Amino acid sequence: MNKKYIFGGIIIVVFLILMVSMFTQSSIKYETNFQNVMSNNKTFKAAGFWVKEKSFVQDNAARTFSFVMKDEKGTEMKVVYTGSIPNNFESAQSLVVTGKYENGTFHAKDILTKCPSKYEQEKQKVSSL
Amino acid sequence: MAGSIVLSLALFFSIASMVTYVLAYRGKEKSLSYARLSYHVMSMMIIVASTILWYYILNHQYQYKYVYSYSSNELSFGFLFSTFWGGQEGSFMLWLLFTSIVGIVLQSYTSKLGDLEPRVMMVYTLATTFLLIMVSPLFKNPFEMLWAEPIFISLKDINPAMLNLPVLQSFAFADPASNENFVKVSAELNNALNAAGYSINQLVIDGKGLNPQLLNFWMQIHPPILFLGFSMATVPFAFAVAALIKNDYRNWIRQSFPWVLAGTGILGLGIMLGGYWAYEMLGWGGYWAWDPVENSSLVPWLVGAAAIHTMIVQKKTQNDQSVGKFAKTNLILCIMIYVLVLYSTFLTRSGVLGDASVHSFVDPGQLVYAFLVLFISTFTILGFGMLLYRWGSLTSLTSKEDGLLSRDFALFTGSAVLMASAIIVLVGTSAPLLGKAVDTVFYNEMHVPLAIIIGLLNGLSLYLKWKDTKKEDLIKKIFPSAAATLVLTILIAVIAGLTDIMLLLLVLSASFALVVNAQIAYQIIRGNKKMLGAYVAHIGIAIFILGVVGSAGLSQEAPLTLVKGKPVKHFGYEFTFTGVKQLPNENKYAFHIDITKDGKTYNAAPIMYISDFNNGLMREPDILSMISKDIYISPMGYEEPGATTGANLQLQKGTPQEIEGVKLTFNDFNFGPEARTAMQDGKDFEIGVNLTAEYAGKKEGVIVALKNKNKQTTFTSFDLKDADVKIQLLNLNPAGSVEVNVAKLDGQQTEPVKEEVLSVNASIKPFISFVWIGVLVTVIGFFIAMFRRLKEAYRQ
Repeated sequence: MNKKYIFGGIIIVVFLILMVSMFTQSSIKYETNFQNVMSNNKTFKAAGFWVKEKSFVQDNAARTFSFVMKDEKGTEMKVVYTGSIPNNFESAQSLVVTGKYENGTFHAKDILTKCPSKYEQEKQKVSSL
Repeated sequence: MAGSIVLSLALFFSIASMVTYVLAYRGKEKSLSYARLSYHVMSMMIIVASTILWYYILNHQYQYKYVYSYSSNELSFGFLFSTFWGGQEGSFMLWLLFTSIVGIVLQSYTSKLGDLEPRVMMVYTLATTFLLIMVSPLFKNPFEMLWAEPIFISLKDINPAMLNLPVLQSFAFADPASNENFVKVSAELNNALNAAGYSINQLVIDGKGLNPQLLNFWMQIHPPILFLGFSMATVPFAFAVAALIKNDYRNWIRQSFPWVLAGTGILGLGIMLGGYWAYEMLGWGGYWAWDPVENSSLVPWLVGAAAIHTMIVQKKTQNDQSVGKFAKTNLILCIMIYVLVLYSTFLTRSGVLGDASVHSFVDPGQLVYAFLVLFISTFTILGFGMLLYRWGSLTSLTSKEDGLLSRDFALFTGSAVLMASAIIVLVGTSAPLLGKAVDTVFYNEMHVPLAIIIGLLNGLSLYLKWKDTKKEDLIKKIFPSAAATLVLTILIAVIAGLTDIMLLLLVLSASFALVVNAQIAYQIIRGNKKMLGAYVAHIGIAIFILGVVGSAGLSQEAPLTLVKGKPVKHFGYEFTFTGVKQLPNENKYAFHIDITKDGKTYNAAPIMYISDFNNGLMREPDILSMISKDIYISPMGYEEPGATTGANLQLQKGTPQEIEGVKLTFNDFNFGPEARTAMQDGKDFEIGVNLTAEYAGKKEGVIVALKNKNKQTTFTSFDLKDADVKIQLLNLNPAGSVEVNVAKLDGQQTEPVKEEVLSVNASIKPFISFVWIGVLVTVIGFFIAMFRRLKEAYRQ
């Protein structure tokens, strides 16, 4: 064991400490329970579904796109995104929005649309076409 | 059916080849010819199965689930051809196809190198066996029939002439939400149809089609090259295990080196094309978003690049007593390349990234998940198990270190920095396994210092000798290049207006690498050109880093609202929206913008359209590429003349929505029998819309209407004075919804907009061409090096 190993060891330890601290600083938690999103003033990746019945609003003057999302338990949350409606939004099966909940709305800086692979909804049987 | 049978035969021959190669290794010389024959028969079978899949796609054989799910009648030949890898099953098939073809070359290569062939090929056929099991009917079989699991097929894909068939009636379904009708295609329906003398192929006449984001030229190029890179990653693994089996690490390095170079080069090219695709087509605004799927293919590349550096050292330091330095490191890295390719596949195919990535596949099911885990575990245990088994003898065969100022050590440090980068990307990408995700800041911040070190090392190492270098010599030699670097850095900084200290350091280190490598490359060009590879690759990396600094560090972005015919000044350019044109033969619209500077006018035309595939609005950016920068125009939205300011909203019957402090509910239509008759007779008519507005504790009825007079349709509005808003009817849907615009009632804003307005995001990306040029130059460097090392490999 010479100086070189000690030197290398120190570099590796410094690198790891740096990485772990950066990781904890920049990591964002996934959250499927909107109650937690709304009660914490932290950045989340909130995963849920677009409430189609409540449609969406595209405000061209303010350049915002807003809609209502709900989680699996049915908790609803208003989402505002600066920009316009993302590709595939209408057909998305579920959404992941990244941002913070402040003053009654979730301010998303990113919207991820997940596309359905199959027809998810149950279809009703009809007698004739 | 035929496809599955051929694939099953291929699986049989893959196992047969593996077993006979093992026997050949054990000394049964006769079985070697059987092993080779089996391997070639297997490859033929895989090629035949792939041809069958292509035949089914090109001939619209929608009775196959894969063909139905990923293609449609309207696709052109090129897109039909690339439908082959458009879905999960097909991309496994492509991987398998390339792996088997690479294996043919590998078999021929190893057969000329003594006793190498059985050892390498028995490991390699284990990989083909796993891939063949993956595409077997148990897991991701591209030949699955449409009715294997019941599937609802929209009426638009069903042959209308067969709708009246009595057998079909009990398979008719409707979706109450959208009022759409479907046919449930299942095994029972297939039997019933066959009994009636029909087939599913006659019933289903169109497919679902490819996602519009995949309908792009790069879709035909990027996945095949990436999968070729993945396939070639199998080879270093097979060589490493083969070396461990024989406990011979002397020839190994020479024999596997050209393969590591070629595989890493191809993988790098594939990754870059993916970045270019994202930049040019997907409108993400950049070429690299640190998306987990992109990242997971970058990690094996970084490890491959790391391996190349330490493999050179091992080769140079071999002598009679020792197999050279870093033999253990090299074995670990070569094993890791393939294990990380498999891990990448696991991350992107197992559904664990479900919520984290744009292009990860949807959950494939528990069985596939378990099989992927088994796949990785098998190769991890095989590779590292063998390594542990040989650890003792490896330690005694490896030579010891030299001084700090030697080229070996610089190369090792380079490799360590690349590994550090790989670890960062791997940790960030694996974060979703912990239910987290990292912000892109994590990758960017961690990589700036690493890139600085890479640039400095890159230049410095070339001044170091293979053993020890004297400090005085070093300083004397380095002086001219250091001076040239300083001049170049100041020049770039002044031209680009750089002030950020980290970016300046980055430019300094990249310039240093560029100067030193270019200088040496110049000397070599006049001498032995075969030696150029490393220098060319490093020049490429330096150009690439400069491109990243320019395009990421100095890019400017601004939202622009362009009224037709009215120029808007930004970034020193004049942007004028000139109008909308429909693309010929397509349902897409190009929004033409004139961009003027110093009397020169360029035209950009980003595209927006409503896709038939998902009924969603799709956007495609347009890019003006100039030598020193790109102007990137990403469309955001478009207002037609007549549209109003304020916000548009869709109201479903009975569901209130709140806007501008007013809660609006759509109650019902006012559409009496008289109006109905008038409409049917083609006379003037009116359809009323009853709304309820609630605001400040008040409730008020609001009536707006569609009026049809002399075949002209107009929509009326309603001023809700107390709430200070105007409600304008925009459209109505008889199924039970209306669209309204709600705007503030303060003066001018209530007037409908008379002009066409296009809103775009414009950005300037300086020196982005350096990114592409840099990667291409690097790849060329890899291949120059590969040809040189290939000649050495045959020299015994």
